[in-house]
Amino acid sequence: MKEREIRRAQPWLGTLVDIAARGVEADQAVTEAFRIIALVHRLMSYHEPDSDVTRINREGTLEPVAVHPWTWQVLARARALSEASGGLFDITVAPTLTRLGYLPRHPDLPRCSGQGDWRHVELLPGHRVRLTRRLRIDLGGIAKGFAVDRAVAVLEAHRVREGQVNAGGDLRVFGKRPQAVHLRHPAHPTRLVPVAMARTAAVATSAGYFAGRRMRGRRVSPHVDPRTREALPPMRSVTVFAPECVTADALTKVVLLDPDHAQSVLDRFGAEAVVLEYRESSQGWQLRTGARHA
Amino acid sequence: MSHTSAWLILSAACCVAAPAIAVQYLTAEAAQKLLFPEATAFAPRTVRLTPTQKQWVEAQAGVRMRYSEQPVWQALADGKPVGWFVLDEVYGKHEFITYAVALDPTGAVRGIEILDYRETHGGQIVNPKWRAQFEGKRFGAPLRLDHDIQNISGATLSCKHIAEGVRRVLALHEVALK
Repeated sequence: MKEREIRRAQPWLGTLVDIAARGVEADQAVTEAFRIIALVHRLMSYHEPDSDVTRINREGTLEPVAVHPWTWQVLARARALSEASGGLFDITVAPTLTRLGYLPRHPDLPRCSGQGDWRHVELLPGHRVRLTRRLRIDLGGIAKGFAVDRAVAVLEAHRVREGQVNAGGDLRVFGKRPQAVHLRHPAHPTRLVPVAMARTAAVATSAGYFAGRRMRGRRVSPHVDPRTREALPPMRSVTVFAPECVTADALTKVVLLDPDHAQSVLDRFGAEAVVLEYRESSQGWQLRTGARHA
Repeated sequence: MSHTSAWLILSAACCVAAPAIAVQYLTAEAAQKLLFPEATAFAPRTVRLTPTQKQWVEAQAGVRMRYSEQPVWQALADGKPVGWFVLDEVYGKHEFITYAVALDPTGAVRGIEILDYRETHGGQIVNPKWRAQFEGKRFGAPLRLDHDIQNISGATLSCKHIAEGVRRVLALHEVALK
């Protein structure tokens, strides 16, 4: 059978998902990978009225909610990342994102108490979830990475030799041929900065550039500091290389909030970070690598 | 734990003119086959809206319509209608996207495929010092900057315009294809 090279893109998870594959079953592989991405979207969307996330937000304080094993798996990973980062990664900042206009209002959901955080999302046996405070969860900071990981697993199961899955910056590449990985310049989003050549990599970037908006005269980003529940100004771009995209995606938020102290968390998950930051005091945009090369 | 962090200045002024991002995913024909694998024919049914219809679509969708003409095909399986294939374009601040929406005969979205994605301006930033840092260090292979730009981390382009476009297509179905 002849080898095929396929590249397609569809809108899912609030972004464009781009999948490329080379292999004899590339056609079916890409179609199947999009089916999996669509499933993650349906399970973990904050917007969909019947997603697991919406059901947890609606009923989680009343009784344990049974969810798909994948949703449970993402919640468990989110919890591990919250624990390791001392709460810098937190899936319960949704009310702030709603206030800033990044997430829709759900008037039919129970009111939030404003008291809860990630510790109040209880994971019970049998893939059940309970909220012990009136709060809202949002997997926007981790589900895209998970979707990319699952899609790559599908491609590999279909004997794809070389592939790429990119969900708005959560990116995985694999294959024999090294591929260049680029970042967007935070101040000039259409300008690209090459950061690495990789045969196999799981990468995620968080920055305010495309999503940045103004709120009462201040520029804000969709990145909320769980300590203050305020949005960060969009002056920093963080890229994390990790063994899996789900981890890389979540860790970008940890580094974004505290680049100077994130190293131990990165080490724990076998990750590395690249920070691009605007410094008023020096000569403008600077880049810092967390890699320990001199 | 200590680690050395190397700060490098990355001036945006050192941008070398390189091709901006442009990806051609599918031709219209390929998208038709993907979205309607059961179809045996696609009959052109270009929609031309009257000014009143155009106004109605804009009011329903909450977005402006650039043209009053929309390329539409009816998908047929052995002569029986199985849905609509609508070609559309959206423009963002930086990007230009051509995409196709497949509707089933009742007007429900069956699938969306991107045909063409283009970004205006842009290109690669090339800084020799910056490159030197990564060469041979990170993943054991030097950067090749002449290579096609394929893998962009941090491409958090909003799908807002596509979502708006689909709303417009659904309104168009309501007024012209029912």
